[in-house]
Amino acid sequence: MPSATVNKPRPSELLSRLTSAEPEVKVRALREVKNQIIGNRTKKLSFLKLGAVPAVAGILADSIDDVTDNNNCNNDSNNAINILVQSAAALGSFACGFDAGVQAVLDAGAFPNLLRLLANPNEKVVDAVARALRMIYQSKLAPKYDFLQQKNMEFLISLLNSEKENVSGLGASIITRSCETNLEQKALFDAGILRKLNSLLEGGSLSQRDASLESLATIFRNNPEVISKFAGPEIGRPLSSIIDLAKDRYPRTRLLACMCLIVIRNASPHFLQDIGIKTKLIHILLELLDDPGQVGDEAPFAFSSLIAQKEDLQKLALEANAIDKLHHHIKKGSLHPRRYEGILLALADMCSKLESCRSKFLSLQVLNLLADALTDYNAGVRAAACICLKSVTRSIKNLSAGYFMNETIVIPLVQLFLDPSTSVQVAALGATSNIVVDFTTRKSIFVQCGGMKQLVQLAKSMESSVRSNALWALKNFVFQADNRLKEGVFSELTASLLSSLIRDPEPSVQEQALALVRNLVDGCINLIEFVFAEDGLILGAIGRQLQCASTAEIGIQGMYALCNVASGNEFHKEAVMQLLFTQMGDKNQSFVIKFLQSNDSRLCTATVWTIVNLTCPSSPGAPGRLEKLRNAGIVSQIKNMVNDPCVDVKLRVRTVLGQSMAFGDN
Amino acid sequence: MASSKKLISREEWEKRLNNVKIRKEDMNKLVMNFLVTEGYVEAAEKFRMESGTHHIDLATITDRMAVKKAVQCGNVEDAIEKINDLNPEILDTNPQLFFQLQQQRLIELIRNGKVEEALEFAQEELAPRGEENQSFLEELERTISLLVFEDTSNCPVGELLDISQRLKTATEVNAAVLTSQSHEKDPKLPSLLKMLIWAQNQLDKKAAYPCINDLSNARLEDPTF
Repeated sequence: MPSATVNKPRPSELLSRLTSAEPEVKVRALREVKNQIIGNRTKKLSFLKLGAVPAVAGILADSIDDVTDNNNCNNDSNNAINILVQSAAALGSFACGFDAGVQAVLDAGAFPNLLRLLANPNEKVVDAVARALRMIYQSKLAPKYDFLQQKNMEFLISLLNSEKENVSGLGASIITRSCETNLEQKALFDAGILRKLNSLLEGGSLSQRDASLESLATIFRNNPEVISKFAGPEIGRPLSSIIDLAKDRYPRTRLLACMCLIVIRNASPHFLQDIGIKTKLIHILLELLDDPGQVGDEAPFAFSSLIAQKEDLQKLALEANAIDKLHHHIKKGSLHPRRYEGILLALADMCSKLESCRSKFLSLQVLNLLADALTDYNAGVRAAACICLKSVTRSIKNLSAGYFMNETIVIPLVQLFLDPSTSVQVAALGATSNIVVDFTTRKSIFVQCGGMKQLVQLAKSMESSVRSNALWALKNFVFQADNRLKEGVFSELTASLLSSLIRDPEPSVQEQALALVRNLVDGCINLIEFVFAEDGLILGAIGRQLQCASTAEIGIQGMYALCNVASGNEFHKEAVMQLLFTQMGDKNQSFVIKFLQSNDSRLCTATVWTIVNLTCPSSPGAPGRLEKLRNAGIVSQIKNMVNDPCVDVKLRVRTVLGQSMAFGDN
Repeated sequence: MASSKKLISREEWEKRLNNVKIRKEDMNKLVMNFLVTEGYVEAAEKFRMESGTHHIDLATITDRMAVKKAVQCGNVEDAIEKINDLNPEILDTNPQLFFQLQQQRLIELIRNGKVEEALEFAQEELAPRGEENQSFLEELERTISLLVFEDTSNCPVGELLDISQRLKTATEVNAAVLTSQSHEKDPKLPSLLKMLIWAQNQLDKKAAYPCINDLSNARLEDPTF
C-alpha cells in the first residue's frame, strides 16, 4: 500500500540528510524539519527525542563563520546564508512555546552562537537569529541576564536601538524575562532604557508597542520610585500614552496596556487613583473576556490583579455587572483550562470581602457549577474552584442557613482531600474550614461523607501546610458542636496524635492544634477530661509548648485552652495551677508574667481570663490559688495593668482584682 | 408641516467645502494604502513611480499575495511553506490558523478523492491538534464526516467543500500575515466612506443639504425638502 505521504520523508531519514556533505541537501532537509515542526507540538517532541536539536545546533555552529560579508551573491554564499537562516528558524521553532525544546536548545550549546550571529552582516540571518532568541526569552528557562554589568547594559541598549523589529523586540523580551529586583529596575532606568521604551510605545510598530508595554510593566513592578521618575517630570504625558493604548484597536495591546496601568496603580498610591480610570480599567477588562483567544484567557487574571484586596474596586466592578459577565462566560462551557481557572479566581476575588458580591453570586444558582469545577480534570481549575468556594462561604448569612452543608458540595470537596496535588488539598481544606462552621446542626453530613476521618488523616500529612489547614478545618468543625460530635473527633484523633501535633516542628501547626483543643474543651465540663486522657498527655504538651511559644498566636490559643480547662471543677483548676508553676527550670518567672507583659493585648487578655477562672470566688480552692499567684508576683503584675489602654484587658483585670478583694486583699 | 431643518444651498455647500483643506500627500497615502493592503503590486509600484508616495517593501506584498493565491488554489502545503519562509512565528503562535490550514489540506484531499491519504493525514496531523486543543475536535469531526456522504453537495457539511471555504481561509491567512508585518489588515478607504455615510445620517436630522448618495461617483445631489 503506497504511503499517503510519499514525498514526505520520515523524521529519521530527514535527520540523516542533515549530515549530508552537500549544502543544498542540507538546506532542504533543514527547511523540511522546520516546516514539519512549526505549529506541531507533537512533531517537536518526536524530533526532539530523535536528537534533532543537537544536530541542528551543530550545523549552526559549523556554519557560523561562513557568511562574512553581504556582498557575495554566488551559490555557495546563498547556501551558507540559507543554512544559517533555516537552522536558526528551526531552533527558534523548537523553542517556541515548548519548554522541553528551550532546554534542548540551551543544552546543545546553541545560545552563545545565536548571540554571536546577531552581528552577522546578512539581514535575513540576523532576523532569524533574533527571532529564535526571542522565543528562548519567552520561556522561564532562559538564561538570566545580568543587567548590572556595564557591557551587558550596552549590548541591551544596542538591541533596543536597532531598527529591526525582531532585534528591538529581543531587547524588550530580555528585560521582561530577566528584570527582577529593584536594583535592576533602577539600573535600567539610569541607563535611559525607559525613555527608549517610551519612544517605541509612541512611534513603534504593533509588536514593538506590545513588547514595550510588557517591559515597562516589568520595570515598574513594586517600584514606586521608578514610576514617579518616569511619570513625574512630563506631567502625566507618558502615562497618558499608556492609557491611550488601553483603548487600542488590538485586543492584545489593550490587555498589555491595562496590565501595565495596574502594575503602576498597585505599586504607587499617587497615580491612577481617580474613579474614572478605575471604571475604565474594569470595563476594558470585562470586555476583553469576550476575546476567543489567549487574550481572553489572560484577561481574568489581569482583572484579579486589579481588584484583589481592594473593596472600592470590587464595589465598582459589582456595579459594572462583573459577576454576571464572569458567570456568563463560565456557563458557556468547554473553556480552555487557563480561562476557566482565571474566571473562577476572579470570582473568588470579587467575593472575598463584600457580602453584596457573595449574595449576587449565590443568587445565580451556582452551586452545581462549582461542584462541576471541583471535579474538573485540570488541577488549577479544581484549586480555583475551592478558592472561590472559600470566598463565598464567608457569607455568614448563608452559612447560618445551612446553604453549603449539602452533598452536592461536600462530597466532591471531601474527595479533594485525597487529590494528588498539594495545592488542591490545601485549597479544599480552606473551603472546608468555612463550610464546617455550619451554625445549624447539620454537621453530621460531613461525618457521613467521611470528611471528619479524612481531616484526621490529613493532620498526619508530610506537608506542614496540609497539617495546619486540616487542623484549622477540624477546629472550625468542633466549634460549638454537640458533645457527641466532639467525642467522635477526639476518639478519631487520639490524645497522643493531638499532643504530638501541639509539639509539631511548625509554629502554624502548633497554633492550630492548640486552637482545636480550645474549641474541643469549650462548653461542657465533661469535655475537659480530654486533656487528662492518657496521663494528661495533652495538658502536658500545652504546658511545654507555652513555655517556649515562638509566636504570640501560639500563646493566645494555648492560654485560651487553659482558660477553658480552668472553667471546670477544683481538680481541673488545680491541674492548671500546677502547669503554670512547674517547668520554670532556670527561669525565675512563669511564662504567665511574660505573657502579661507582652505588647500583644490579645495575649494579655487570654492570660487574664485564665486568672479570672482560677480565682473565681465560688470555688473553695480559690483563696489558696490566689495566695500562690500573689507570691509569684502575678497579682501585682495584674495590678499594674489596671489602666491598660485595651478595654478587654482593663475589664478582665478589674474582674480579677474585684475577685481578689472578696478574699480580703488590699 | 414646517421643517425645522436648516436648508443649505448647493452654492453655500460648495463654498464651505472649498474652505476645507485636504493635502495631496494624505490622499496619495490613502490610495497607496488601499493598493498595498489589497495586494495590487504592480499598481502600487506604478503609483509610487508616478506620485512619489512611499510604500512598504513590495517584496513583502508579493510574498503575501503568493501565499493568498496558493490557498485560493487549494495548494495548502505550498502556502504553509511560504508562510514559514516569510515568518515562522505566524503558524507557531496561532494554533487556530494552523488548524484551519491543515483542515483545508484535508478538505482538498477529500475533494480529490484521495480517501486513504485523507484518513492517514487526519490521523497523523489533525488528531494531535485535537488532542492538544479540544475545541478543534468538533471541527475535525465535521470535516471527517465529509467522507461518509456519497453526495457531498447535499450533505450538512457540504459547505466545507465550497470554494468559499478556501476564500475564508485565504482571508484569515492574509490578515495574519499583514498583522505580523505590523500592517493593519483593513485598508483605510472603506472606513472613511463609512464615516462619511454616518456623518451624513447625523446631519440629515438637522439640515437639508447637498449629499452624496452614490459613493462610486461621489456626486453632490441637490437638497430636497
